Amino acid sequence: MQTAFTRGAPQQAAPMTTPFLVAHDIAKAFGGAQALKGVSLDIAPGEIHGLVGANGAGKSTFIRILAGLNHPDAGRIEIDGHSQQIATPQRATELGMSFIHQELAFVPGMTVLQNIMLGVPKKSRFGLTDWRAIARDVAPIARRVGISAPLNASVKGLSTAEIWLINICRALVRKARLIVMDEPTASLAASEAERLFAIVRDLSASGVAVLYISHRLDEILNLCSRVSVFRDGRSVAELAGKGLNRPALVEAIVGGTIRDLQRTATARPRGDVVMEASNLTRAPKVRGVSLKLHAGEVLGIGGLVGAGRTELARLLFGADRPDSGEMRLADRPYQPASPAGAVRAGLGLIPEERRAEALFLSKSIAFNLGIANLDKIVHSRYLPLLNRSARTAMAGEMIRSLSIKARNASTPVGRLSGGNQQKVAIGRWLQRTPKVLILDEPTRGVDIGARGEIHRLIRQQAESGMAVLVISSEPDELPDLCDRVLVMAEGRIVRELTGQAVSRKAIVEASYVDPQALMEDHPA
Amino acid sequence: MSDVAISARRLSPGTKAVLGIFARYGTIIGLLAMIVTFSILSPHAFPTVNNFTNVLNQASLAMIIAGGLTLAVVVGELDLSIGFAASLHGILITGLVVHDKLPIPLAVVIVIALGAVIGLVNGFIVTKVKVNSVIATLGVGTILTGLAFAYSAGVPIVAGVPEAFLQLSLGRWLFGIPNNIIVMILVLGGLWLLVERTPLGQEIQAVGGNAVAARLAGVNVDRIKILGFVISGMCAALTGILLASRLGSGTASAADSYLLTAFAAVFLGSATLRDGEFHVLGTLVGALIIAFGFNGLNIFGAPTFSQYVLQGAILIIAVGMASLGRSLAER
Repeated sequence: MQTAFTRGAPQQAAPMTTPFLVAHDIAKAFGGAQALKGVSLDIAPGEIHGLVGANGAGKSTFIRILAGLNHPDAGRIEIDGHSQQIATPQRATELGMSFIHQELAFVPGMTVLQNIMLGVPKKSRFGLTDWRAIARDVAPIARRVGISAPLNASVKGLSTAEIWLINICRALVRKARLIVMDEPTASLAASEAERLFAIVRDLSASGVAVLYISHRLDEILNLCSRVSVFRDGRSVAELAGKGLNRPALVEAIVGGTIRDLQRTATARPRGDVVMEASNLTRAPKVRGVSLKLHAGEVLGIGGLVGAGRTELARLLFGADRPDSGEMRLADRPYQPASPAGAVRAGLGLIPEERRAEALFLSKSIAFNLGIANLDKIVHSRYLPLLNRSARTAMAGEMIRSLSIKARNASTPVGRLSGGNQQKVAIGRWLQRTPKVLILDEPTRGVDIGARGEIHRLIRQQAESGMAVLVISSEPDELPDLCDRVLVMAEGRIVRELTGQAVSRKAIVEASYVDPQALMEDHPA
Repeated sequence: MSDVAISARRLSPGTKAVLGIFARYGTIIGLLAMIVTFSILSPHAFPTVNNFTNVLNQASLAMIIAGGLTLAVVVGELDLSIGFAASLHGILITGLVVHDKLPIPLAVVIVIALGAVIGLVNGFIVTKVKVNSVIATLGVGTILTGLAFAYSAGVPIVAGVPEAFLQLSLGRWLFGIPNNIIVMILVLGGLWLLVERTPLGQEIQAVGGNAVAARLAGVNVDRIKILGFVISGMCAALTGILLASRLGSGTASAADSYLLTAFAAVFLGSATLRDGEFHVLGTLVGALIIAFGFNGLNIFGAPTFSQYVLQGAILIIAVGMASLGRSLAER
C-alpha cells in the first residue's frame, strides 16, 4: 500500500502546560441504559488526541456532553483548569470548542461565506450585516485552510471535502481551541483525506487541539500522539508513544480479558446454495460484494455501523437496485424490481428499524401478520373478500407458536413490548416459509428473555431448511447464532469466519480491517 | 410550581376512560345530540321522514365525493382536484347529452372514465414524478377549471336538457327512495367493502398506516396510491354528473364548493370511532353532521353566513376534541 502520509514525529503533549480540557469520571444514563459509566480523558493545547471504541462504547454520548447537548449525571469537566458546566451548545462555543459531525452542517442555497458564518455573531453597520467587513476578516482564514472557491460563490456543487473545509473555517472564525472531528474521512476520497490530514497537523501546530474520532485505525496511528479507548461506557486505555500500535488498539477495543463464550452454534451439514450474489455494487455503501447462502445455514454479517450491511440487505431484497453485479436465487437469475418481487421469489426481510420500517403500530396483530399473507386469507377465487376468521385463526396460531404476549389477535401492535413486536415482524414471513429470511439487527431493543426466544426461533428456521442471513452489531450475537460469519468494512466483505474461528474477537478485529490494504495484499 | 402543574394534569383512570370514549364516539354523540336538539326545538318541521329524506338527498352528492376523497386520504395523500373536476364533469356531461346527443348511459360511462383518467394523472404525478400531492392535485384542478371554461366558452349550458337526464338525480326508485340516496348507499357501501373487507383494502390501509413498512412487506405502494386517486376521481365524476342533472344545467364552477365540504366530512370522520384514522364509515358520519347542521339552521332561518361559520367551527372543535381527548387519555 502506498503510504498515504508519512508519519511525522508526534508532538509530545507537554506535561508542563495545563490541559485545555479535562473530563473526569463522566457518567450518563438514558432511561435504564447506562451509556457512560465513567470516562476520563484530558487534551493538551495543540494536541491531536484520538478517540476509538466499538459501536455503543459511549463515544457519541461523550461528545454530546462536551457539546452541551446532554448533561452528565456525574463527573467533572475542566477547561483551562476551571470547572465548567456546559449547559448549552452556546456555552460550549464560548468555551472554545467546535464540533464537526459526520453529517456536515451547511445550507445548500447559501454562499461559502454565509455558510462559514452560520450561527456566528456577525459585524453589522446601521443594523445591517456588514458582509464586506466580514469577508475581509474571513478571507485570510479561508486561505489558510485552503478553501479554493470564492467566498461569494454558492456552495452548490462543492465537494464534501470543501464543505468540510467550510466547517473547519467556521470553527476557526469562532476562535475554537478544540475541534472535535467525528469520522472526518468517512466520505472522503484518498487524496481529499490527505489534504485533511495536512490541515489537521497545521491546526495542531498553531495550537488548536483536535479530538479525532475514527474507526480507521491507520489514520489514528498516523495522526494522533495519544489515543483514548472507550469500551462499554468506560475509558479503558490511554495509549501513547511506544505503547500506541495497532494490536494494542484492537486489544483495548475488543477487551482482551473477556473470554468468548463456548459457541452454541456448531457447524451442521448445510444444503445447496440457495442465493448467490456476485460483485454486487451500489456506490458508495456496497462495493463488489460476493456471497453464497446455503439452505439450512445461519449466515451472519458482522461489521461496524455504516459498513454497508443494511444496504446489502436492501439490495438482496429488491428495496434498492444495484449499480452492477448479479444475483441468483435457486439457480435462476434473480433481479427483483421491488420488495414485492423479492417476496414473490421467496424472500422475507425483517428490517432494522422495526417500528418505522416493519410494523403498522396502530393496527392489530392480525393485520400486521396478514399483510404479507393476503393470498392465504381470502375466501375463495370467486368471493375475493377477506376471510377474517381465517386471519384471526392464523394470527392466533402465530401468537401461540411464537409465544407472543398479547391479550388477543386484535391487540394493536404498538402496545406490545419490543420483543413481542419483533416476533410479529418475524411471524409475518414464517407463514410463507420463505427460501431466504434476512434479519437486520433482530434483537435490538429486545429484552434478554425474548432475545433467547428469537435466537431459538431463528435456529429452528434454519434447521427446517431455510437459508437465514443475520446482520448484527451486537458483539455476542453472531457467535451465538451463526454457522458462518462474513465481516464487512466500508462496503466490502473483508473476512469469512467459519466453525470455531467465529468469535467475538475475530469479528471485531476484522471490522477494523482496512479493505484498501486487503485488496493490495491479495490483488484480484 | 412545575410539580403542581404536572400533578394537576395527572388524570384518574376513570377520567381517562371517559376521555377515550369521547375521543372515539364524540362525533356520533354530537350528531345524535344535534338531531335530538333540533327535534325538540322544531318538533313539526325537523323530525319528519320527509325532512330526513330531503337532508339525505341533499347530502348524497357531498357524501359520494367525500367517499372518494376518503380513499385518497386513506393512502396518505390529499386530492384537491375533486371540486374542480366535478365542475368539469358536470359541464361535460351536459354538453355530451345536449350538444352531441349521446345516449345518457354512454355519456355517463365516458365522464366516469374521464374521472378515472384524471385520478390516474394525479396518481402518476404524485408517485412517479414525486410531486407533493397538494401541489399536484391543485395544479391539475386548476387546469381542469381552465378546461371547463374552454369547453363551455364561459356560458352555462341550460337550454335543451332532456327530461331523462334530469331524472338521473330527481328520479325515485325502490319505495320512492330518491336515486341520489340509492347511488350514495351503493358507492359508500362498495367503498366500505373494498377498504374493510378485501385483501386489496388491507394493502390500502397498510400504505396509509406506514408506506415504508408496506413496501418492505411486499405491497406495491405506488399502485395502491394511484388506485386511491383513481377512485377519488371517479367519485368526483359521479357527483359532477348528479349535480348537473339536479341543476338541469352545466356551469363551469358549479361543484367547486364540494371540495371544502368533502374535506370537512373526511376529517370529521377521522375523529370518529378510530383514533385519527380516515375511514369510509367516519366520512359518512362527518357528512351527516354537516348536512343536519345546515338543515337545522335552515329551518330556523339562520342566515347563510352562519352555516359556513358552523361548518368550520364544528370541524375544528370535533377534530380538536378528539385529538386532545386521545392525548389526555394516553398520558
